[in-house]
Amino acid sequence: MNEEQTIREKLRAFITRELIRDESYNLGDDEGIVTGGLMDSFSLAEFGVYVEDEFNIYIPDSDLTVEKLDTLNQMVARIQRDLGA
Amino acid sequence: MPLDLASLLTFATAAVLYAGLLNGRWRGWALLIGSTLAIYWLQPPLAPRFADYVLPTATLALAILGWLLTRPPDVESRQTTLREDRLTLVVLFVLAVGMAFNRYLDAAYRLTASRPPSPLWTAVILLGLGGLFLLSARLAAKADQRRVLSGGILFMVVVFVALKTAVLSTAVAQLWRTLTGQNPALAAPTDLAWLGFSYVAFRLIHTLRDRQTGLLPALSLREYVTYIIFAPAFIAGPIDRAERFVQDLRALPHMVGLDAARFGEAGLRIASGLFKKFVIADSLAQGMSLTAVNAAQATSTLGLWMLLYGYALRLYFDFAGYTDMAIGLGLLFGIRLPENFDRPYLKSNITTFWQSWHMTLSSWARFYVFTPLSRSLLRRKPRPSPTLIVLVAQIATMTTIGLWHGISWTFFIWGLWHGVGLFVHKQWSDRTRKWYRELAEKPWQKRAWTLFSWFVTLQFVVLGWVWFLLPELGLAAATFGKLFGFGW
Repeated sequence: MNEEQTIREKLRAFITRELIRDESYNLGDDEGIVTGGLMDSFSLAEFGVYVEDEFNIYIPDSDLTVEKLDTLNQMVARIQRDLGA
Repeated sequence: MPLDLASLLTFATAAVLYAGLLNGRWRGWALLIGSTLAIYWLQPPLAPRFADYVLPTATLALAILGWLLTRPPDVESRQTTLREDRLTLVVLFVLAVGMAFNRYLDAAYRLTASRPPSPLWTAVILLGLGGLFLLSARLAAKADQRRVLSGGILFMVVVFVALKTAVLSTAVAQLWRTLTGQNPALAAPTDLAWLGFSYVAFRLIHTLRDRQTGLLPALSLREYVTYIIFAPAFIAGPIDRAERFVQDLRALPHMVGLDAARFGEAGLRIASGLFKKFVIADSLAQGMSLTAVNAAQATSTLGLWMLLYGYALRLYFDFAGYTDMAIGLGLLFGIRLPENFDRPYLKSNITTFWQSWHMTLSSWARFYVFTPLSRSLLRRKPRPSPTLIVLVAQIATMTTIGLWHGISWTFFIWGLWHGVGLFVHKQWSDRTRKWYRELAEKPWQKRAWTLFSWFVTLQFVVLGWVWFLLPELGLAAATFGKLFGFGW
C-alpha cells in the first residue's frame, strides 16, 4: 500500500469504529459523512484529536468544518497536504 | 435596530456614487472612511453626556488596539505596510477629531446624535491614548505574544460582561454621570447602549484567537479596521471572518463598478429584506406577537400559543430581513457577506436548526467554544466519558450564545435549553443511526418520521423563545407554565 492508501484505510477504520460506531458500515471515499448524518461537530473534534495523535498534525479548530472535512477524500487530502508541508 | 428607510436610502446612494464614480484603487479607503462616519451617524442618542460620541470613538480605538496586538510576529511583514498603516492612523485621527466639530453645528445638521466634546480636548486625549497604545505595543512586542493575545481576549470578555450585565453597566453609567456632572441617580442599564459592540467584540476575539493559532493572515491597519466596522454589517452582523472579508476587500480595485448583475442581485436582496422586516415582521409586531405586556394579560392557553408563534415568526422575519438588507448593501459595495439564515423553522432536528439560525454566530461559537473545549477535554488523561464531554461542551457553547445576547438568567436558561436539546439529540441520533439509515428504504415511513421530527423541533424552538423574549425570570416561568395549562 502506498502512503495515501495507508492514510485512507486508517481513517476509514477509525471513522467506522469510533465515530459511526458500526464497523460493518461500508463507507465510500466520496460520501458526505457529516452531511449524510453519520457524524456531527463533536465527531469532527474527535477526528481532530485522532489526527493529532496518529499523524502528529494539528488541524486548527476553524478548519474542522463540514465544508472542509465532509468526505474521506477531503480528509486524506488535508492530511497529505499537512504531512507534505 | 436603528436601520430605517432613510438610512437605507443614504447607504444605497453612497453605494451608487462609490461604484460609479470612484477610481478602483480608492474603494478600500472609501469603505474605511464611509464606515467610520457611519458608526458615529448610526449610534442612537445616549443619556450620559458625550457617550454617543465617545462610544463610536472607543470602537475605533478597540479596532486599532486589536490590530496592534494581532500583527504577525515577523518584522518583515510589518515594515512593508508601515507607510499605509501610518496614513490610516492619521485618517482615523482626523475623522475622530473632525466628528467632534459637530459640536458647533446646529442639531439638524449634526452627524453625531448629540453634542460631542470640544475638538481640542478630544485631540489631546486621543493623542495621549495613541501614545499609550504605542507604548503598550512596544512592551507587548517583547513579551510572549500568546500571553498578550490571551490578555487581549480576557480584556474583551471583561468589557463585554461589564456592559451586558445590568448591575455592572448601571454602575459604569453612574460613574460616567458623576464625571460629566449629571445626576448619577438617573443611571439605567440602557444608558450605555453601545451600537454594534457585541459584534465588534466577537470579531475582535476571532482575530486575537486566530493570531494565537497562526491562522490570521497579515492585515494592514486599513483592512483590519474596515473588517471590524464595515458599515452594512456593523449594527447586527453577520459576523464575517477576517480572512474571507479581506479577499473581497483586496479584489475591489478590479471590480466592475456599475455591474448590472451585482446591482440586480443586491437590489433583490434589499427588496426581500425590506419586505420581511417592514411588511411581515412589523405587521406581526402590531399585537400579533408575544411581548412582556401581553404575556401578562393573556387569557387562554391557545391565545398564548398563537402569540408565541407570532413572536417566533416576527423574530425570524425581522432578523432575516435585516440580514438580507445587510448582505444586499454589502454587495453594492463589493463585499459578499456570509449568509446568516437557511430556512431554520423548516429543519427536522435541533442540530440542523442551529446550522441554519444565526449561522455566523453559531459557527463562531463552534470555532471558539465548542471545538476547542471538546478537544481539550478529549485530551485529558484519564479521558472523561464522551457523553460527559458532549454535555459540558454543548451547554458551555449554547450558554455562551445565550449570554452574548445579554447577561441575565433568562438568556442563560435559553442557552441551557438549547444546550440540553442538542445533547439529547446527539444521544438519540448516535443510537438510532442504523435504524434511520434503513428508513431510507421505506419512503412513506421516512416522510412521516420527518414530519413528526419537524413538528417536535419547531415546538422545542418556539418554547425556547419564551426565555429569550421575556426579560423577567418570574414572568417567563409563569408564561412557560401557562403554555401547558398551569397557573391560570
